[in-house]
Amino acid sequence: MKTKTAKLSLGAESFPHYRPKLKEILVTLILVLLALTVILPLILPWMFVFKTRLEFAYNPWGWPTELRWLNFVEAWKVIRIGQGLLNTLYVCLGAIVCTVPSAAMAGYVFARYRSKVTEVLFYFILAGYFVPVQMVLIPLYQLCGLMGITDTLPGLFLPMTAFGIPFWTIIYRSFFVKLPNELAEAARIDGAGHTSIFVRIMLPLAKPATVLATLLVFMGAWSDYLLSLIMINSADRYTMQLRVSQFLNAYGADHMPRYAAAAIIAAAPTVILYMIGHRWIIQSTLAGAIKG
Amino acid sequence: MNMNVKAYAMMPGKKKMKTRDWNALLFKSVLLLPAILFLAVFMYYPIEETFRLSMTRSTGLGPTQFIGFQNYVRLFQNEEFLMGLKNALLWAFWSVCIQIPLAFFIAFSLSVYKNKITKPLRVIYYLSNVLPSAITAMLGKFMFAPRNGVMATLSAKFKWEWLGKIDFLGNPDLAFWSIFAVATWAYSGFYIVYLMANIEQIPKDIQEAAQLDGATRWQYARFIVLPMTSYALRIVSLLCIVGSMKLFDLPWLMTSGGPGYATSTLGIVLYKNGFLNWQYGRGAAVGVIIFLLSLFFTILQFSLQRKDRDA
Repeated sequence: MKTKTAKLSLGAESFPHYRPKLKEILVTLILVLLALTVILPLILPWMFVFKTRLEFAYNPWGWPTELRWLNFVEAWKVIRIGQGLLNTLYVCLGAIVCTVPSAAMAGYVFARYRSKVTEVLFYFILAGYFVPVQMVLIPLYQLCGLMGITDTLPGLFLPMTAFGIPFWTIIYRSFFVKLPNELAEAARIDGAGHTSIFVRIMLPLAKPATVLATLLVFMGAWSDYLLSLIMINSADRYTMQLRVSQFLNAYGADHMPRYAAAAIIAAAPTVILYMIGHRWIIQSTLAGAIKG
Repeated sequence: MNMNVKAYAMMPGKKKMKTRDWNALLFKSVLLLPAILFLAVFMYYPIEETFRLSMTRSTGLGPTQFIGFQNYVRLFQNEEFLMGLKNALLWAFWSVCIQIPLAFFIAFSLSVYKNKITKPLRVIYYLSNVLPSAITAMLGKFMFAPRNGVMATLSAKFKWEWLGKIDFLGNPDLAFWSIFAVATWAYSGFYIVYLMANIEQIPKDIQEAAQLDGATRWQYARFIVLPMTSYALRIVSLLCIVGSMKLFDLPWLMTSGGPGYATSTLGIVLYKNGFLNWQYGRGAAVGVIIFLLSLFFTILQFSLQRKDRDA
């Protein structure tokens, strides 16, 4: 993958007769400035966070005189990110466990056992890809009420699963279609049944798709706000995003240093995850977007 | 691949396959069951319910009453809904006009001017896209909050009174644009990364041919990259437009649709009707309208595309 992009990329040497030096510096500068505006909102809170309220009021832009961690402690107490994180992780896990196997199994059937019936069913699932969650929000809430799963975490990840399955079924299907038929044939001659061909041969070969799906379903569940907002009422089941929005509503930006601390705490898990896995995250987003 | 299909069809074991058919049927059904069950229960049943509810007067308590298209008629007389509709269309228009050209510029520059400084920038650009919207909204308020926000403190520091006078989130004419700025900050990363991947997939010989003909980088962008990525640009625009129809998180978290109805969106109208006023019927009608608008733009996109291919 790496060598491929390197080959395809247009290096500075590709246009030799064009004297780009000044222009290149200019464009680089613009790109750096734009990148700075992207990370600035994540860096600026550090300017405020170590100050007391009074200090902030008089001199918001001065360098912090000492490292006071009190704002972090206060924000941590209010935002209770630890518990929110735990609930969010539970939702992510539930969404992954429900979405990925269902999509893999359905995608496999659509790729390998084509018939009129499966084609119809495929369109039944494909159509779901175009349905926005917003559209069905109210009946979904009523349905979960009937099933007794509102205000529970499964009430979050079960609907999420339904809205994730169409896309991942498409991805898995396109993946299984590309796998060579000989493997399955050989296994069949050796006496393997449908199940063992799928589980022992095909599924391991589809590992890239599985990694992709796991990662992106995780990210989707991680950042969900709307479903959590309508489904969850009890504070001890709040997801991370609900905690953050609750802080926004209850405290606002009046006490800016504490607000800055809360912003840092709230953004930290995502930023850390991104720093560890940005290569996979970007690659899988692209793979998903280009195939889909 | 073709060979395989033929070989498969010519296999003498057809009879043998038939005896195993029940097995295959069972296998297929078991594998398809979870996906179909999930969709039927959590998607198709609620869709049917949305259409049914949108024709009723329903509050969640007591009996529902069939009232035909009255909910829709009422909506189109409702100021907040009309504002939400207007904002959704405006938002779609401006995001296609501003976010996508910006993203194209960045993506093209990043892939053409590759040096040690620009190479790692892609990772930074994408960072704002992975932040959950609640946190994006928090950072947006951090920048724009009156009195204590970054903008306000900057104006105090440098005695820029004009900046201090601007109420980014409280002024009805400006609030839309403040949220739009935050959204541009948050969403452009995806467009950049996606367009960049498409630009880099242009075969090398085409680029070499352009070089031989003496094309500058900007001619290369205008006459080769732009036409060759037109499909990607359309897909991104479609995502943009459909996203605008369902927009909810950022405006709700930053201004709750206010001041007045200035930053109301279709998503907010739906949420308010359904979950704050307990007007299930009317909320469902907004849901149907969101769906129809998304469908309309999707079909429009694909029919335009087909026309292009025919021409």
